Amino acid sequence: MINLNQTAKNSPLYRLDGRSKLIGILAIFILAIVFSHPFYVLALLVIVMLVWWIARLPFQIIVDILKVFFVIALIILLVQVFFYPGKINLVRLSDPIKFIGFNGYLTLDGIGFGIAMVLRLFVIMVSAPLLVMTTPLPDLMVALVKLKVPYRFAFIMTTALSLLPSIQSRSNLIQQAQLCRGVTDFDSGKLWDRLRGTAGLLVPLILGSFRDSQTLDVAMSSRAFGAPGRRTFLIESHFSLLDDLVLGLSALLLIGGVTLRLLGLGIL
Amino acid sequence: MSVKNPQFQTEESNRARVWKPKGRILGIPISLMAIWAALYIVASAVPALPVPGMAGMITLNTIMTAISGMILGPAAAIANAAGGIVSMLLFPYGFSAGPLGFLTVTMGGLVAGLLFANKWMLAGIAELLILGSWFVNPKAWDTGMWMVPLPYSAIALLVIFIPPLRNWMRRSILTLQKGWIWPAVFLMCCVGHSAEFMTTNSMTNWLFNLSWQYWVPTLPYWIGVDTVIILISTAVGVSVMVGLKKARLPQFSDSLGE
Repeated sequence: MINLNQTAKNSPLYRLDGRSKLIGILAIFILAIVFSHPFYVLALLVIVMLVWWIARLPFQIIVDILKVFFVIALIILLVQVFFYPGKINLVRLSDPIKFIGFNGYLTLDGIGFGIAMVLRLFVIMVSAPLLVMTTPLPDLMVALVKLKVPYRFAFIMTTALSLLPSIQSRSNLIQQAQLCRGVTDFDSGKLWDRLRGTAGLLVPLILGSFRDSQTLDVAMSSRAFGAPGRRTFLIESHFSLLDDLVLGLSALLLIGGVTLRLLGLGIL
Repeated sequence: MSVKNPQFQTEESNRARVWKPKGRILGIPISLMAIWAALYIVASAVPALPVPGMAGMITLNTIMTAISGMILGPAAAIANAAGGIVSMLLFPYGFSAGPLGFLTVTMGGLVAGLLFANKWMLAGIAELLILGSWFVNPKAWDTGMWMVPLPYSAIALLVIFIPPLRNWMRRSILTLQKGWIWPAVFLMCCVGHSAEFMTTNSMTNWLFNLSWQYWVPTLPYWIGVDTVIILISTAVGVSVMVGLKKARLPQFSDSLGE
């Protein structure tokens, strides 16, 4: 599980309001989708790396992400390199193989598009931890409420977060109980045994937790959940000058990116 | 000091005190939805199946999405979305669609939940929208791409749009009809899981522009993976439905009055 990074606590990114970070990450995500030219997506990746450096996050995390997504990135690259309908031929590999849709050439456009798609995946994957590792989750929830996410929905998320430790310990307890009964280890063992173990874990976990929900329901009702009146928050969030700067930069990047795309730039 | 009409006083005080209870959404207590979201997050950390070619593994939350509709009804969409968003924040590695990753589990819960609540028309529209988002992409017009959504989405469409099949499935699950509950839950899991994986496929196709050369040859492999997921979901789903009924725990069917 990714937690708040300790070194990031001294970074300027940590001091930003959750709303600015959410909007900034959303802008990066939209730009990653808007562009399909490798140079443009690379420029976006450079920006993300710069933010990563400002956030003082360890670059080892990026290596870990690369390991996780290596196979899917390779598949995306190979499919585009060999089958993208490119126009500028580079190397002739074979005669056209029509039934698989291969024209026999490696094309410049195909290689470029393949690299752009891998970089897009990389930008999307690397930008998400920037938000999570520099923002405590309660602050993030407050940011969502301030961004007009319905309160009841935000309440479900915050309650789920606060219930996590108890459900996790219940899950561990069930796993140990099942192990005592001879059910195989959930993290190793044969595939079939693990599948059988899945039901043995999920069913008691769901039923036991549902029983707890009744207590929670009574507690909520007795505290008049949903009663009219102005709601106050323990954590208050405010925009600072730095937030205004980040929001301004995000808006500028987004408007600039969309304008470039409308002018026909940034695509292959 | 003027004396007010007692009748008026009562109405006035009543008006001040009466407020719309907000402890439920779509007939399901918010507490239950929070518990489901928490379960979903925990399940996101438990690997169930290693799948080559995918980011990491298929986790237990896939099974939870498939069964969520018959446990929470349409509210499953909200509970899944809440769980999906938090899991995405805690385990961002597992969502190759980035910030939109939670939409896949939301759609899975929505289609199955609406169908279980007998709002089949809405379920059908949602399912057709998901399939439409696949076929609108020009990449989906290539050779053999029509086959990709076929296996389980076809079953889902049949269940949604054929009244006798739909009614039999709902009745069998609601009454926990011995023997028939297994195929009925299997069909419900097909609906939930197909909505989830087709949303994922469609989003992957729009984001990474994968051509038929990827989708068509890997189709048998994905059918195998989906079959395993649906079979496990069926086993878990039947046990949970029977357990909830026996323990008299809250679930969506309580709000149906059947």
